[in-house]
Amino acid sequence: MAENGKKKWGLAIDLDRCLGCWTCAVACKEENNVPMGMWWNRILTQGGDGLDQPKGEFPYLEMNYLPLNCQHCEDPPCEKVCPTRATYKRDEDGIVLIDYNKCIGCRYCMAACPYGVRVFNWENPQRIPDFDYGLVEGRPRGVVEKCTLCVHRVDEGLEPACVVACPAHARIFGDLNDPESDISVAVRERGGERLLEDKGTNPQTFYLRRRRKRPL
Amino acid sequence: MTARMAYRCWLTVLVALMGLGFAAWVYQLSEGLGVTGLNNVNSWGLYIIAFMYFVGLSAGGLIVVAAAQLTGTEQFRPLSRVAVILSGAAIVLAALFVIPDLGRPDRIYNLVTSGQFYSPLVWDVFVICTYLVIAGVDLWLLTRPRESVRALTVMALIALPVAVLVHSVTAWIFGLVVARPFWNTPLLAPLFISSALVSGLALLLVVTLILRRLTVLRVEKEVLDSLGKLMAWFIAVDLFLLFAEVLTTVASNVSDHKDQVMSLLNGELAIFFWPEVILGGLVPFAIFALPQTRRNNGLLGLAGALAVVGILFKRLNIMMASMNLPLIQLAPGQSFGRFVEPGGRFWLRLGEYTPTWVEWSIAAGIVAFGALLVTLGVRYLVMQRMPTPVVRSAGAVAPGGPAA
Repeated sequence: MAENGKKKWGLAIDLDRCLGCWTCAVACKEENNVPMGMWWNRILTQGGDGLDQPKGEFPYLEMNYLPLNCQHCEDPPCEKVCPTRATYKRDEDGIVLIDYNKCIGCRYCMAACPYGVRVFNWENPQRIPDFDYGLVEGRPRGVVEKCTLCVHRVDEGLEPACVVACPAHARIFGDLNDPESDISVAVRERGGERLLEDKGTNPQTFYLRRRRKRPL
Repeated sequence: MTARMAYRCWLTVLVALMGLGFAAWVYQLSEGLGVTGLNNVNSWGLYIIAFMYFVGLSAGGLIVVAAAQLTGTEQFRPLSRVAVILSGAAIVLAALFVIPDLGRPDRIYNLVTSGQFYSPLVWDVFVICTYLVIAGVDLWLLTRPRESVRALTVMALIALPVAVLVHSVTAWIFGLVVARPFWNTPLLAPLFISSALVSGLALLLVVTLILRRLTVLRVEKEVLDSLGKLMAWFIAVDLFLLFAEVLTTVASNVSDHKDQVMSLLNGELAIFFWPEVILGGLVPFAIFALPQTRRNNGLLGLAGALAVVGILFKRLNIMMASMNLPLIQLAPGQSFGRFVEPGGRFWLRLGEYTPTWVEWSIAAGIVAFGALLVTLGVRYLVMQRMPTPVVRSAGAVAPGGPAA
């Protein structure tokens, strides 16, 4: 365990296992009461210009999936630029959160996030069906929101909704400060990589590279 | 039309535009920022472009007054009050343009009660407030019956570094963002200062020429000539910095913001970039640099206006080139951010942004407010305290007081 017993919650995403099915994305939307028109978690296609489009000429096609949500950086640029401390990094476990009562909606954090995972409530949130779903209170119009690593579940000892929902077990959640945790082992043994490493944000989200080429 | 009627018409137009802008803002408050053209990729647009631009426009006045005071250049003295009024109005507009951009303007006090020291935005709040106070004090000093040279010199010593800071800190709002490689260059602060000097001084020149024609303000030919010469220098430096940036980026195959620069050179922003460089830069430079053209007041005004608009295009390019090209551009992209009926466009891989009528109306209202501030400032703080009003032509000045 790390110094003063602090946790460092992280996510490792196994790109070998991801099917690009968007189950995690939909589970996230349901769990967190994310309204129409926005996603906290998306599955990007590494390939052609469109969703599920490979690149190259048949038969030499290539395609990958890259699930993307808040990376919960150790040095979050969004937190540094927030003029009102609405975005903050929770001291005890490193989750990056937003205080929706403090956010003035200047969207500086959206300009500063290298990963483009923040979404703004441009209008009154609309939901179909027309009521709040999930366990999380809806956010008001005019503030920024993003993945919370399902902080309400994590605080109760549960895993984030996306991790539980993934049918391929591609998402591993755990304490990066514990060298014996599943996530630490996976990151160590598979050589976990972080997105846009050169930006110095030190994400707590790791990607486990594909070991084999998947036939298309 | 008499001068008085023209003046009334002008005020009426300004007040009408302010009304339109206010109505549009109320509409935006009631519906949310969804009525703008902004989205999750282009999260900043016209309001923040205008913010950058008006911070820059505020440069001319205070810097000219302060520099003239410190170097003992007497010739610019007749322009001091106009210059300070322009600076003050521009910085007020810059601050005002931030308000409609906020999703929750009702919580703006959080900037103070919960301010975060690391945020360049908070630095800018402090520097802009300081700048505004300096402009106010300067104006007060300049409109007293007896000008105190000592006090003005002290103010100049404070104003110059603060003016440099205002433009640098505004540049750092963008320049310290690692997620935006096009902004994240040490050149950004110097570039903002040079652009600010160009647009600020050009605005002062244009307004001076207008006032010289419409009012009894007397400005010697030599002063206009000196302003023109200064403009040539400022534009040259500004173009040089831009060229250095473009050359360094284009010559490299590994530059992290080559795409952004190429989008300016021959991409979708080329229709703004080349007018910025040629019509807003090279043409006014030529007019200001050649004595024959510089001494023609019509051409001088044209060159000033071109420079004022050119820098507006520059601010637009700085914003759009960066916002249009996020670091991660994989399909399907970022959600548009609003509810879209089935079958509608939902994803944005790259940025797309066109301001809506709401944004244009609010912008027009704020600019009209600035024009009103300048008009009233000139009328009551410059004209009514002219030492010896000289009537240039019958009808240009209405009886009972100078009219614009």
